[in-house]
Amino acid sequence: MLALGIGALSALATDYTLRTVALGSAALGLVSGALGAFAVLRRQSLLGDAVSHAALPGIVLAFLLTGSKAPLVLVVGAALTGWLASLLVLLIVRASRIKLDSALGIVLSSFFGLGLVLLSLAQRHAGASQAGLDRFLFGQAAALVGADLVTMAGLGALVLAALLLFWKEFKLLSFDAAFAGSLGLPVRRLEVVLTSLLVLAIVIGLQTVGVVLMSAMIVAPATAARQWTDRLGRLVLLAGAFGALAGLVGALLSSLVPRLPTGPTIVLAITAIAVLSLLFAPQRGLVAARLRAARQRRRLQVDAVLADLYRLAAQHPEPAAAPHAAAVLRAMSERHGVLRSLGRLAETGLAREDADGRWRLTPAGVAAGRRLAETGAPGAEPGSGEP
Amino acid sequence: MPVRHWGVAAALLALALAGACGGGGGSGEADGRLSVVTTTGQVGDLALRVGGDRVRVTTLMGPGIDPHLYKASAGDVERLLEADLVLSSGLHLEAKMGEVLERMDGGRRSVAVAAAIPESLLLAPPEFKGAHDPHVWFDIRLWLYALDAVRDALVAKDPAHAAEYTARAAAHRAELEALDAEVRAAISQIPAAQRVLVTAHDAFNYFGRAYGLEVRGLQGISTMSEAGTGDVQALAAFIAERRIPALFVESSVSPRAIEAVLAAVRARGAQVAMGGSLYSDALGDTGTPAGSYPGMIRHNVATIVAALGGASKEANAQP
Amino acid sequence: MRSPEAGTFCMQPGSPAAGEAAVSVTDLTVAYRERPVLWDVDVAVPAGALMAVLGPNGAGKTTLIKAILGLVPIAAGDVRIEGKPYAEQRRLVGYVPQRGSVDWDFPTTVLDVVMMGRYGSLGWLRRPGRREREAALAALEKVAMADFRARQISQLSGGQQQRVFLARALVQDARVYFMDEPFQGVDARTERAIVALLKELRSQGRTVMVVHHDLQTVAEYFDCVTLLNVRRIACGPVAEVFNEENLRLTYGGRVEFLQRKASLEPPPADPGQPGWPRDARDTQGPSRGGLPRP
Repeated sequence: MLALGIGALSALATDYTLRTVALGSAALGLVSGALGAFAVLRRQSLLGDAVSHAALPGIVLAFLLTGSKAPLVLVVGAALTGWLASLLVLLIVRASRIKLDSALGIVLSSFFGLGLVLLSLAQRHAGASQAGLDRFLFGQAAALVGADLVTMAGLGALVLAALLLFWKEFKLLSFDAAFAGSLGLPVRRLEVVLTSLLVLAIVIGLQTVGVVLMSAMIVAPATAARQWTDRLGRLVLLAGAFGALAGLVGALLSSLVPRLPTGPTIVLAITAIAVLSLLFAPQRGLVAARLRAARQRRRLQVDAVLADLYRLAAQHPEPAAAPHAAAVLRAMSERHGVLRSLGRLAETGLAREDADGRWRLTPAGVAAGRRLAETGAPGAEPGSGEP
Repeated sequence: MPVRHWGVAAALLALALAGACGGGGGSGEADGRLSVVTTTGQVGDLALRVGGDRVRVTTLMGPGIDPHLYKASAGDVERLLEADLVLSSGLHLEAKMGEVLERMDGGRRSVAVAAAIPESLLLAPPEFKGAHDPHVWFDIRLWLYALDAVRDALVAKDPAHAAEYTARAAAHRAELEALDAEVRAAISQIPAAQRVLVTAHDAFNYFGRAYGLEVRGLQGISTMSEAGTGDVQALAAFIAERRIPALFVESSVSPRAIEAVLAAVRARGAQVAMGGSLYSDALGDTGTPAGSYPGMIRHNVATIVAALGGASKEANAQP
Repeated sequence: MRSPEAGTFCMQPGSPAAGEAAVSVTDLTVAYRERPVLWDVDVAVPAGALMAVLGPNGAGKTTLIKAILGLVPIAAGDVRIEGKPYAEQRRLVGYVPQRGSVDWDFPTTVLDVVMMGRYGSLGWLRRPGRREREAALAALEKVAMADFRARQISQLSGGQQQRVFLARALVQDARVYFMDEPFQGVDARTERAIVALLKELRSQGRTVMVVHHDLQTVAEYFDCVTLLNVRRIACGPVAEVFNEENLRLTYGGRVEFLQRKASLEPPPADPGQPGWPRDARDTQGPSRGGLPRP
């Protein structure tokens, strides 16, 4: 397994195909992840989906109108209809009662449907198969060559540069558009610019993962990254990094396993990253949340047992001398895990078990019990783990 | 999937019916010609040769169209329904028209010509579980069965002109047998070590088996599958190792993947040429030599021999 | 209690002095899908005044602010800030939007949000630097949120969020402030502290126009009031304009209820503790050690 991994990584450097596909996929992942962060934060995740599906009629029309099967021509067509669709969505939302999700659904399905109809029409055209129009549905990552890399890198650099240039404006726009407007920022024009960058990012990736799957590369990296950081800059960087990683892993896996299509593998990789992040991220992850809740419950249980012990002990003139059986404590309140709580109290020196199995409070325990009764908090426990 | 059985049953039934009812004449045209609708150009070519002036042949999938991906339009379905006879290639070549053709079958109107080929002669690739490789027209000997199937179907539909159809079929059979010999002779010109045919998808397995070529395709039997990175790498490695002089694109498939293989091979420092474009799943433009089945075969063979044959001697000398 | 140093009386719109108003709105009409939200509204806010904008839900209060700031299209009418159109006077204006209008789960810190107030003066291409940072910290000090500067905004309580918005507005160093429901969902101490801040702004000669919802506190906090219900019902000094008749016109019916709600005499002064709430137990924010985040 390890040897396979090392072999794969060295192949990355030496093998032309793997290098090209991996670089192209990583570039796609980087750019779409970074732009996707903004789409996700602005609650426009589905916009990426709508734009990529809307690219299909543009691709086919470009072929039908120009008769050319050059990738650049097709990609320009994709960008045009994608851009048109995004503007249409924004327009519908502004000018009618229709909400964003409905507008996205309408535009996505109608444009995509149009694309399929045109595709069907185009297949009667002799050159259509030659143009590989149907390949744009799911991408053909394995067919990337050096020239494609140059285009992707160039466009990608443009997009990232624009992102850096307008960073603070995009940040403010995404957080508080009304305030941005009050400062005099041209909110609508900025929205159009941000959306156009998203369209470019999508178009870069269409050859690689295809129209249908592209939205995953927009949404999943940012969703994963959000689990790990609370700062916008780091979020965008991390989203880009996750996207690039998925591209790399997808290319590697697809080179190791025969007949494994690269595009879908990349999408599976980023999905795995997203799922792992949702589960295992330290602060926001599901697992961490469960652990925190469990810790919280245990702490409350310990406090409750301490309170019960104190109540029992306070009835005696010598509180520290009065032992009680655990069964008594269990009876006082129907709590589970009394013994475990007692054990914890013993660990922290607040209670002690006698030879006959009964429990008593230590002097420190008595003091803590008193504090608990008076203030509702037992006071600083050594080693409680809470700052 | 027993498409073949359906086809045979339909053909037999058609024959029986023809015998019983005595020839359902053409509901087609006033000029008395049978309207025959075929799926691929190869099948259409057979229909033209056997039917001659007695038939009007319409081919749904023109030059450069990929039959694995072709979806029938409403107009196509209409044409199919109005035809006197529907001829398809069969063996799931027309994968996305399966349901439409089955409906025709149910009406006992359609014949899958490749179904006439005995199963023992067919190739069953392991990845295509339970189904056969449908590219049978590249083995001329197998295509002769299809020729017979077309003749039988026409005779069944139009027994009045049975003699004509039989005669034309026999003439065409002689033509095709001669073509077969021609192809064998041509391929034998290629030095044994270079008899490797690398193309965009696995369309040439029958060709390879019949005429002694090793065949490797990038995509699988159907163009619906996508070539993975590993497939490109593996093929590039194969070409470089075996010092294969040329690889080929296909007229009905996007050349991008093969071009990527080409770049990969050159990046390894090996010499390989773009051998040219082969007709794999469709004929060439009508009116050109490649627009007929024999012409298409000849073009392919000439291209292959030119690329793999003589010019390869320098490549062989490379270290 | 209207403070004696409030300066001039609130001007009636249309009066000769209205031309020198800090904010002057004439014949403003805003329609949303042919339904009027604001109709023929005239408002004049004198310089250095604290003005409340009151009205029932849907009266157009937020729309009025947004229309003044150019955030919604105007069907008719004119807006001037210190005599000039808003577009020329942006540098002089500060804005505190409604707290609920943003997604507080946005990944950014308190300091970051406050620095956003300086984006207007930075212009394109320039990054916020040391000066912006210092200004932001100073503003945070003013609202006693400086300790929270690196805190995620999602971990703030309602009152803290409001204070951050205020700090962002302070950093704009504006002459005219517009605030939309700054007291909404805020605890009593924070509210008192905000009022003290507003009065300090007024003492510096700045003007503040506030969309307000609590009739009880109008007389205590504000100098002038605008009563709005799609049309302007009244606009002027509190003592003159904030009466039963106008309130009935604005809110419609149930005068006794309004009498109970609106006290025209300020309530007995209960200063409580001065200054901002200490947030002692809050120093780690509600998410740490508390209930798990959704």
